[in-house]
Amino acid sequence: MIELKNISKIYDVNKNEKLIALDAINLTIQEGELVVLKGASGSGKSTILSLIAALSKPTNGEVIVDSKKISKLPDYFASIYRRDNIGFIFQKYNLIPTLSVKDNVLLPLIPLNPHADLVDEKLQKVMQRFNIAHKKDVLVRNLSGGEQQRVAIARSYVNDPKIIIADEPTANLDEKLSLHFIEMLRELKLLNKTIIIATHDPLFFNLDFVDREIEIHNGKILR
Amino acid sequence: MKNKINVYLIEYAINAVLRQKYKSFFIVSVFMLLTFLLTSVFFITNSIKHELESTVDALPQIIVQKIKAGRHYDIDVSSVDGILEIAGVSDAVARVWGYYYFENAGVNFSLVGIEQYEKQYKNSFESIVEKFDLTHNEDDSFMVAGEGVYQTMQQNYYKEYFNFIKPDGTLKKVNLAGVFDSDTNLESNDMIVLSKETLREIFDIPESKATDIVVRVENPQEIQTVASKIKLMYPDTRIVTNQDLKVSYQNIFDYKSGIFLALFIVSLFTFFIIIYDKSSGLSNEEKREIGILKAVGWTVDDVLKEKFYESFIISFFAYTLGVGLALAYVYLFQAPLLRDVFVGYSQLKTRFELPFVFDFQTLFLVFLLSVPIYIAATIIPSWKVATLEADEVIR
Repeated sequence: MIELKNISKIYDVNKNEKLIALDAINLTIQEGELVVLKGASGSGKSTILSLIAALSKPTNGEVIVDSKKISKLPDYFASIYRRDNIGFIFQKYNLIPTLSVKDNVLLPLIPLNPHADLVDEKLQKVMQRFNIAHKKDVLVRNLSGGEQQRVAIARSYVNDPKIIIADEPTANLDEKLSLHFIEMLRELKLLNKTIIIATHDPLFFNLDFVDREIEIHNGKILR
Repeated sequence: MKNKINVYLIEYAINAVLRQKYKSFFIVSVFMLLTFLLTSVFFITNSIKHELESTVDALPQIIVQKIKAGRHYDIDVSSVDGILEIAGVSDAVARVWGYYYFENAGVNFSLVGIEQYEKQYKNSFESIVEKFDLTHNEDDSFMVAGEGVYQTMQQNYYKEYFNFIKPDGTLKKVNLAGVFDSDTNLESNDMIVLSKETLREIFDIPESKATDIVVRVENPQEIQTVASKIKLMYPDTRIVTNQDLKVSYQNIFDYKSGIFLALFIVSLFTFFIIIYDKSSGLSNEEKREIGILKAVGWTVDDVLKEKFYESFIISFFAYTLGVGLALAYVYLFQAPLLRDVFVGYSQLKTRFELPFVFDFQTLFLVFLLSVPIYIAATIIPSWKVATLEADEVIR
């Protein structure tokens, strides 16, 4: 279970200016739930995702995942937490363009230093699942937007994380590819993953497999 | 089960070096060039130093020369008897020797006369008289030449003998009995050993005269005292001790080392410009990559380990390549261009081989001056970025 308790996040824009990204929000997400965070750009959706993934720390409040206060974790343990629990699909995919598909998908496994056979098995399985195995040796910079997104999803899934986070996953895709992504989400939901998506794409609204839609506005939860 | 060494991390580092191939190639090239230059100069100076030290060690302890109005003249052989009476002197030998300028090749040969059945003042001469017969007679004279002399003679079609031009303009034919290899290359390379009689004939030195007298002292601590006594006994002589020679050789060498120092400073300056450039920050691409790695679960330790491997691969590869090239350049190709900076008198002397001197300290010094500094310069900015919040870096 993920709990955000009285979370505020304030960024220093410059010496005299501060930006309140989140303003004392409270949110609970159950295990296996698929939640869509809706809202305009700059509303604070991405900040919530970043806090749940321990990519940043809140200015005030606590983020608790499975009874662990992850907002208080030192950097080393925050990395371990991400490695073991989080699969993150970024808006711009955040792939390393000069690496091959296989090497990008491998990235979360490297610090674990697993046995070669296990690595091969995992990579093969995940690349097949997201239909990217045939491009495994192609450099990511030579892939289309849709293919790059499939690599990003494969990378987020390779560690078999409990929580999958997607930040504006269809922002750079056309409608056909966006619908394809939604189908992949349905698959992930069936695997009982906790999925949190931040988007303002209407294609995600009113989907039958989405458990909750939460609207964020100016750093506050509306409904 | 975890392996002890993370091969994936090493593989990632190798991959990182290869995928930035132009940048890596540039760094390796500059790094290698500087290592090559520094190591080559160290190798050359070590070899020459070794050569000079061997030469100085092989020199006579005291040389007595006759001086008239400040000029060097032949000394009376009878002076040997007076010197032998000085307490502490164990031996004194009148030497007949001189430089012979071979015009065709533009080089000087050092001609040294020895007696076949006399006690020799140098160990190398003992083995010559044991191996070769240097008997002199009017028709047949023999000589033993150093390797450099032999090569020069061969190049000038003197395969089995050499015609020396005597002061009266007539020729003296001397047969080549063999080629010798002395204790040191620098000394023996331009040397020709023949009998004193033959040499006296070539230089027109009478029986009663010698070029100089070499003196051996039982206790090396007494060299200066004995030298002073000889000077008192023969005021018209100049006394040269092996210590004086060592100082003059060292002065020439130190002057040459000044040039090396200039080269060294330029090399270090260039190296530190690269280091400054490296340590002053990472490119946006490099920062973003670190951010991504952190976001997918890499710890700061993992990032720094990878950066360590990356910079170690580049710097150690460049270092090894530079040292390897320097070894080949100095010892295989005899350091063309650089060698003449240090061996200034090469136009007059016959060529000599730079002896192989493996100095681990030199290699270690160059290693310390380059590899760890480069690694630190790469790791520090990576550490600065890796300790920031991943979200901040990616954004």
